[in-house]
Amino acid sequence: MDANLVAAQLFSGLTSAMTLFLVASGLSLIFGVVNVFNFAHGSFYLIGAYFAYQVVSVTGLPFWPGVLLAAAGAGIAGVVMEYVFLRRIYGRGGEAGFQILLTYSFILIIDDVVKMIWGTDYKSIERPESLSASFTLGDISVPRYDLVVILVGILVAVGMWWLIRKTRFGRNLRAISANREMASCLGVNVPLTLSLVFGLATALGGLSGALSAPTRTVTPGAGIEVIIGSLIVVVIGGLGNFWGAFVGALIIGEVTAFGILFLPQWAILFSYAVMALVLVFRPEGLLARRGGA
Amino acid sequence: MRRQRMKWHGLLAIGLVLVMGLADVALAAEKIVIGGMYPMTGRGGRYGIDSVAAAEIAAEEINAKGGVNGRMIDLIFTDDKSNTSYAVKVANRYIKEDKVNFLMGVVSSAVGLAVTEVSKENKIIFVGTDHASTALTMEKFQPYYFRVSNNTYQSAAAAALYAKDKKEWKKYYVIGPDYEYGHRTWEDFWMLLGKKRTDVKMVGQAWPKLYEPDYTPYITAILNAKPDVLVTTFWGGDTVAFIKQALPYKLFDKMKMFNYDGGGNYEVLEALPNTLPKGLVLSARHHNNWPDTKENKEYVKKFKAKTGRYPSYAAEGAYAGVYFIAEGVRQAGTAEDADKLVAVMEKLKFKLPEDPPGFTSYMRPIDHQVVQVQAIGETVPNKSFPPATMMLGNWKIYKAEDIIPSEAEILAARKAAKK
Repeated sequence: MDANLVAAQLFSGLTSAMTLFLVASGLSLIFGVVNVFNFAHGSFYLIGAYFAYQVVSVTGLPFWPGVLLAAAGAGIAGVVMEYVFLRRIYGRGGEAGFQILLTYSFILIIDDVVKMIWGTDYKSIERPESLSASFTLGDISVPRYDLVVILVGILVAVGMWWLIRKTRFGRNLRAISANREMASCLGVNVPLTLSLVFGLATALGGLSGALSAPTRTVTPGAGIEVIIGSLIVVVIGGLGNFWGAFVGALIIGEVTAFGILFLPQWAILFSYAVMALVLVFRPEGLLARRGGA
Repeated sequence: MRRQRMKWHGLLAIGLVLVMGLADVALAAEKIVIGGMYPMTGRGGRYGIDSVAAAEIAAEEINAKGGVNGRMIDLIFTDDKSNTSYAVKVANRYIKEDKVNFLMGVVSSAVGLAVTEVSKENKIIFVGTDHASTALTMEKFQPYYFRVSNNTYQSAAAAALYAKDKKEWKKYYVIGPDYEYGHRTWEDFWMLLGKKRTDVKMVGQAWPKLYEPDYTPYITAILNAKPDVLVTTFWGGDTVAFIKQALPYKLFDKMKMFNYDGGGNYEVLEALPNTLPKGLVLSARHHNNWPDTKENKEYVKKFKAKTGRYPSYAAEGAYAGVYFIAEGVRQAGTAEDADKLVAVMEKLKFKLPEDPPGFTSYMRPIDHQVVQVQAIGETVPNKSFPPATMMLGNWKIYKAEDIIPSEAEILAARKAAKK
């Protein structure tokens, strides 16, 4: 096997991994800190993609400010959802049931709202001019844009590590995740922190959607595909564990990429096979025991 | 005083509802009621919304001319959500409560296979307008089912004729969604091409899941296999995503892409206004710029005037469905006697926007499948249907009779299914 091909496949696996990581890390963060399994998390990826389409393709803003605005917009939508709906069911008896119903119904609601605003046509947004070219590895062209996606993923991972480990906000997060009542007694503003976490997590999902808009189809229903992938990633990495999402995404991205090189007709099975293996040998996920968020 | 007036309002409202109800009952006996089922949300949403608009255009045209034997066409639509069990419920409700004369729809072949059972049980004719699985007319055939758009066999047969003449296409790679439609579209083609060429071989295959958002890992694998031609059996957004992702890898410089069933749908051409490459070999079940006839131009113009956009191919199927029903009722002289309708409809000829000059679509008695001409083209620059900047051109046209399964093939398939 040609070394260039291996390198190209490595890049493509890393690109998928980082896109997945951005969504899955948010999902994991919400579970770890807010203690909600947000089925609608993929819909914030969708919102991010449509916001990016709106500000870049329709309004004509440059690409990168557009992407940041789209991520921020998804974050604001997340805060609204948390503030208006989710916080009403915290601590209710049979909370899991309410959570599933409420967050699942948001998938349908957000899909319909998106359809009402933007219709059902496939929307397109172009890669920024400077990144539309490719670089070559032997006789294989590799999109330059993919390198940037990988870079953004790594930057976000480092930034989140800094936020969680090195700041006061991060300390509050960890306190809440360990014991919500105790944190509240110690003077942490729990409701505010939960809203902020929710907003931050959905902004990460939105960032993933906005970054994917130039390379994927922007269409209602796209959030569902993403939530399935992220679910697999967080199960592998350990539910509620931020670094678990990173490791899980890397594993899924690369296993799928290299699996396809050898057995393309079985590609659908790879991520499920990895998940099954993890569930058999380490049901709590690969990184679950090394501390919460 | 105020309360008195409110009471009056209430009584008036009740009276009005009663009168309107009576009027509706009186009219209903005169109407031909068609119960349409289309997805209007999710991935198939565009097809559903376009189908509804085109069906309405057809009904308006027919009603403006005085209806069918003096009876007006009345359409009701429900979002079937592409959900099999839900669509079955809707079809039953249509039959029992709304007393529809015909069922019409659907986009998903799985839903089509479920609704055809309801049609069979209740002896209510079901007109298929978009779903393409050949099973409905082959092994799962029942006499009250009719399809007015091409099935996957017809597209694949035209594709095999196209590929037969491409001497330089020797090494094939196939990628498509991993479900009935994706596989069947390829298998029919490969089997038919195999009968005509012995020098072709498959160098690889990949079956990602339907709606897979990320094809990049597949793209390197395809490049590595170095095929002459890449057959894709994607439709809709999956075609769009695949093309977007393959472009920076310069995949289209290294091989031909061939998507003979859904790839040339207008929604794909419109979604990639600035990036769609030239020279992709594509087709669809209806084209906005072929045939270049008055009828097709009129149809496209009317659709644009009604919706503000150009139609995707599913729309013409629904338009055909309404005309097919109207013509059937006109000739049978009834909308109620299903057996009499079947006898007339299975021999029906009906002119459609997609019919080229000198040809009229017609129904075949053995499988109730419409027989139509198929055109395959290449993407060429053409800005007459904005926002698309590429449309299909360099057409190759395949005669309707050359691309249908023979009666013997159909009977054999039914016999095999019974075992």
